[in-house]
Amino acid sequence: MNVLFGLFSAMLIGATPILLAAIGGTFTFYAGIFNIAMEGMMLVGAFCAVLGSFFLHSWFLGILCAVAGALVMAGIFVLFAVRLHTDEFLTGIALNLFAVGLTTFLLRDIFHVKGAFTDAGIRAIPAVKLPLIDGIPILGRLLSGYNAIIYVAALVTVLAAFVIFRTRFGLRLRAAGYNAVCLSSSGVPASTIRIWSLIVCAVCCGLAGAYLSLGSVRLFAENMSAGRGWISLTAVILVSGNPWGIAIISLLFGFFDGLTVFLQGSRIPTQFTAMIPYVATLVSLYLYSVRKRRQA
Amino acid sequence: MARDVLIDLRHITKVFPPDTVALSDVSVSFESGEIHALVGENGAGKSTLMKVLYGLERRDAGDIFFRGAKVEFRTPREAISAGIGMVHQEMLLIPEYTVWQNIVLGAEPVRAFGAIDVHRAREAVRQKIEEFQFNLEPDTLVGDISVAARQKVEILKLLYRNVSVLVLDEPTAVLTPQEIPQLFSELERLRDKGHTIIFISHRLDEVLTLSDRVTVMRRGKVVGTSAASDLTKEDLARQMVGREVLFTSQRQPQEPGEMVFRAQGLNCSDTEHRARLHDATIDVRAGEIVGVAGVEGNGQFELVNAIMGLAPMTSGALEVNGKDITRADILARRALISFVSQDRGKMGASINASILEDAVMTHHILDPGFSTWRGLGLNYRRAVVFTEQIRTQFSVSMSGVRDPFRSLSGGNQQKVILGRELLLETPFVLMDQPTRGLDVGSIEYVHQLLLDLRSKNRAVLLISADLDELFTVADRIVVMCQGDIVADLATDTTSREEVGYYMLGGKEAEHAETGS
Repeated sequence: MNVLFGLFSAMLIGATPILLAAIGGTFTFYAGIFNIAMEGMMLVGAFCAVLGSFFLHSWFLGILCAVAGALVMAGIFVLFAVRLHTDEFLTGIALNLFAVGLTTFLLRDIFHVKGAFTDAGIRAIPAVKLPLIDGIPILGRLLSGYNAIIYVAALVTVLAAFVIFRTRFGLRLRAAGYNAVCLSSSGVPASTIRIWSLIVCAVCCGLAGAYLSLGSVRLFAENMSAGRGWISLTAVILVSGNPWGIAIISLLFGFFDGLTVFLQGSRIPTQFTAMIPYVATLVSLYLYSVRKRRQA
Repeated sequence: MARDVLIDLRHITKVFPPDTVALSDVSVSFESGEIHALVGENGAGKSTLMKVLYGLERRDAGDIFFRGAKVEFRTPREAISAGIGMVHQEMLLIPEYTVWQNIVLGAEPVRAFGAIDVHRAREAVRQKIEEFQFNLEPDTLVGDISVAARQKVEILKLLYRNVSVLVLDEPTAVLTPQEIPQLFSELERLRDKGHTIIFISHRLDEVLTLSDRVTVMRRGKVVGTSAASDLTKEDLARQMVGREVLFTSQRQPQEPGEMVFRAQGLNCSDTEHRARLHDATIDVRAGEIVGVAGVEGNGQFELVNAIMGLAPMTSGALEVNGKDITRADILARRALISFVSQDRGKMGASINASILEDAVMTHHILDPGFSTWRGLGLNYRRAVVFTEQIRTQFSVSMSGVRDPFRSLSGGNQQKVILGRELLLETPFVLMDQPTRGLDVGSIEYVHQLLLDLRSKNRAVLLISADLDELFTVADRIVVMCQGDIVADLATDTTSREEVGYYMLGGKEAEHAETGS
């Protein structure tokens, strides 16, 4: 029983950063931007979260710093890809590489450490006990007491589904992706919608980054996003942007991520267990393409 | 009928850098409640003039007055909110959205939290559809409806924004003959409700049927404005081209000779394994022009690809001059088939290459005289001579053979391609929409060229979306509908209506007639 509970919570914890980044990515996906910069936005967010939390002594200000950091990255993306019409793919690659270099440099320059920085002065984001549900025997243990960001992620998913499919902004957002010229000729500049989609993406990636460094741990390690931004991109493309589909893919990935932790104690070498989430991604890509071919 | 002047364009001048004068001192006034046709050849400045009015192009001089006041629209949005809307040639709709979503996009009614008020939006659209009797269903996906219905959606999109002036850029270019009267009666109904309609066209019959007044433009200038009732087709054509144009076909009776091209039972599927061409059988004899009619996307693309070997066929046989080319590679086919593709800039030529390079394509492989060093080099001296031959023989106006191909006008680009292909001296000629996007003068030239080929006993297969063209040059017309060849008609004994009937698949045509 305890193993199951543990696996379930490990799944949620593993899924959250990917879910947040992918929900951000889906806004840019619908707006017709090939945005691969989630990885870099998340990494900068994680670093800024530690920076803010450590110097300002507040986890909340840490989160704000993370969002601000990711927004700066989005600003660069807007400047180059939307305003100056450079290639989106190249801009994304440049931003991701820039994020790794910048955070590593600042880590050494500000905190004078190599590899990872951890300190008792970093305030972590607190866990939240859900009222009412917390009192219910099994359900309470299953759903209550997680980090605040996890609940935010769930809320963001529901909100994203509402915004994309039910609101005026959503109609225009999808129109920007389907036919930008049509949207612009309808009186709404497509570039404005695209800029907003990048802002939403940056906020989500900032939250994901803050969760990485201030969630279950309180540290920043070089390149700590570890490909989660890329996995989130896979999730977005796999389900063509649908927020509910993204939630399922993220949970699946979170589950395998959790499984790795559980198998670490077993006799399987860690090099192999660490592969599980990535192998799972490849397998799901394969299954998906097979299913798609059958439908056609 | 004295009407008020609604839009007054005075002394509009527009120069495209460095020195192309698109509009020079153009003054036109449009009266309220009229259908006003703007006619002229391609490049005469009709669309540019409307884009200046609509805020899509800046002008260099001149003033625009709307309802007596001087106006300045910087974006289409400002023009629309003032009451002027434009339907573009290439329709701007989102196929993934429903009719009502397309119509309200950009002006959506909302409830709390920015949620779209679906009920109110749908009702508003339904009301507009009923008011103008447009025969549309608000909840169908735009991707599932016909081109004619999409055009109605575009018009409704503007009416939903309460425009009083509608500018339509060549609205009939995409319609079948059966659909045109319906559009016209809708436009007349709009006029009778007090809307003003500006109608850009170069189809003279339509202009005379529909409009109240006609303004003719030529080379960026206004030739004149007159009441449509005072004009004949010949007057209009003379004003447009600046010389007499012959409308009667000069196709002399001629007995076709030997069988040159035979396609037997061609079958093709697309990437999703839907059959796009079923059992297509076409014969073309020497000295015969066979036209292929059909609404675009009914298998013509697949037919061309199958003949040229650009896409695999599932079954069928192809033969030119008794030689089986079913499995021949493209180069072997090119030795027997001259091919003018519908897309000049992509398949027909490389627009960034020089005119010379485009002119010797295919020739440089098929004719060893063009190569030096056993095919490693190109004999430039010979290539220049050859390009000059195309220039004189096909009267291409260009400044130099090494200029980039894209510097030529559409008509001259097509002449270079035609020259290259026809100098291949092949027995069979395949032409896919050779006059698309050309002006009246160039179209006349291409038609004359086709008739010359016919008298030289070449076999020609001409695919065209323009029925007038097919009736001018073709001896026989085969009609394609949903990948089938549904009719094979002799031009002299058939009519546009009969061809149109088959284009819509017969049954659907009946339905459309009773439905309207």
